Amino acid sequence: MTRQIAILSGKGGAGKTSITASIIKMMNSVVAVDADVNASNLPILLPHTQQSTKPYYGMNIAQVDHDQCTGCALCLSACQFDAISMANNGRILIDSDCEGCAACAFVCSENAISMAERKGGDWYVSSIDNGYLIHADLIPGEDNSGKLITKVRNEASAIAKEQNIAYIVIDGPPGTSCQAISSITGADLVLAVVEESLSGLSDYRRLAELVQKFSIPHFVLLNKAGFSADVEENIVNAAAEFDGTIIGRIPFDRKIPEALQKLQSLAEMNDYKDIIIELLEQITSSLKN
Amino acid sequence: MIISVVSGKGGAGKTTLAASIAQVFSAEFYDLDVDAPNAEYFLQPDFSEKNPITQPIPVISEDLCDGCGICTKECRFNALYKILNTVYLTEPLCHGCGLCKRVCPQQAITYQDASVGDIRSGYSQKTNNMVHVGDLVIGSTRGTYLISEMVKKIALDKLSIIDGPPGNSCAAVAAIKPANLVVLVVEPTPFGFHDMQQTEQIIQQMGKKYLIIVNKAMNAADVEKYFKDKTKKAALIIALENRYHKANLQGEILSQKFTEIHADIKHAISQELTSQ
Repeated sequence: MTRQIAILSGKGGAGKTSITASIIKMMNSVVAVDADVNASNLPILLPHTQQSTKPYYGMNIAQVDHDQCTGCALCLSACQFDAISMANNGRILIDSDCEGCAACAFVCSENAISMAERKGGDWYVSSIDNGYLIHADLIPGEDNSGKLITKVRNEASAIAKEQNIAYIVIDGPPGTSCQAISSITGADLVLAVVEESLSGLSDYRRLAELVQKFSIPHFVLLNKAGFSADVEENIVNAAAEFDGTIIGRIPFDRKIPEALQKLQSLAEMNDYKDIIIELLEQITSSLKN
Repeated sequence: MIISVVSGKGGAGKTTLAASIAQVFSAEFYDLDVDAPNAEYFLQPDFSEKNPITQPIPVISEDLCDGCGICTKECRFNALYKILNTVYLTEPLCHGCGLCKRVCPQQAITYQDASVGDIRSGYSQKTNNMVHVGDLVIGSTRGTYLISEMVKKIALDKLSIIDGPPGNSCAAVAAIKPANLVVLVVEPTPFGFHDMQQTEQIIQQMGKKYLIIVNKAMNAADVEKYFKDKTKKAALIIALENRYHKANLQGEILSQKFTEIHADIKHAISQELTSQ
């Protein structure tokens, strides 16, 4: 049975992707998923060979047949998203604020509005040294719904099943909105990478609340630590409050971002390799129970 | 006059820079990173007000609904579902579009306002101005809506700073849309440059005036190399120094603590503001 580990942080820039890549590189075989589909960075750290590209269609967009349209403007008042306007020449215009609800198409008495497919991005299956990488690129500015995340995760599950791969590791998006939910639903374990700062603590609390709602056990990895014993203590206390187990601590060390510049993860650094192996052991042994 | 601070990648220093710009110019502040708002740790407003932001959502009358299920089939957001003959709403998925009400043959659906989050407002002694923070209900899909509702409240006759969300989706677009000037913050790493390029593309497509601030620069040569053949150069480069990092994670505003940062930000932004 495949086990899914989702790595999130709440706050952006806490170190999700570097930790995810480091852990992945230490695994025997894995399906890696980059669920941060509108700022996808895992592929930058994981050498991969693209095998297939598929288009992703998001919500539909309204489309006006100007030959049928009489300019009655019923659609303007039906739209709750201010996405429809009428030009000086009476032509109805639909802009990118359209959320695809189809209320305009329903109210149009001339059947002049239809709902058309709208490409939201692409998603890719690639091979990596020890398995597969599934990632996506949302077209900049498109709606980042959980739909694309669900799509890449479903593909990952299918590949894991087909190839008999025991683990799926998901690099999650920042924040605690629906994209975070789409990344953790059905996961067996969440690893929260928490930056030792007031912002890191605050966003961890929001994330932990979300994870608790889904009754998923979670581990906490303190990152960029060593500047403030007070903040660190508060994170430790918050983890206890939300039943999170602290499984490691990585100090603030310039050598880490310096290595990242050269596209090296912690797995390639002598000082941190053992910490990553130890993290991975704790994760896998917790999933055996 | 609105300045939006965005980055593409999270953790580049949006909030750090936005708080500093607000402090330097004593500007009103809007934290639009609604699912992970953090500016309050720097600005420490007194939060005297809390106002809910609502969106109309359907309420289904049990008496009138005959369980035909047409609304569940028509809803494009899968927000309605039917069990036996009762229709239920998954509130966080609802976009409030009103289609279900229109299609219901029994006229069993009415719309009522429901909360998608709050705006907390208060005065900051650090900026001598108001701070407004958007708090999205955790797990909600309505971040972009909450951002747009907050943007509607911004007074245009004074200087306001928007601290935007990370990423390059429609939420970022909503935070960039009202701006007269966009400050694009980049951490000079392969990740940072990758995500920033997408944000830059959005800003250019929207025809916005913008400037780039490089934050947490470790190596001047790397930064120079990146900008060498770019037409848009960095307006300001802030080095990764332990004293900045420490002050930042303890919630201090960099421009308040370090005079050189205060002067640099003032210079970089003023130049853009006057070159209309």
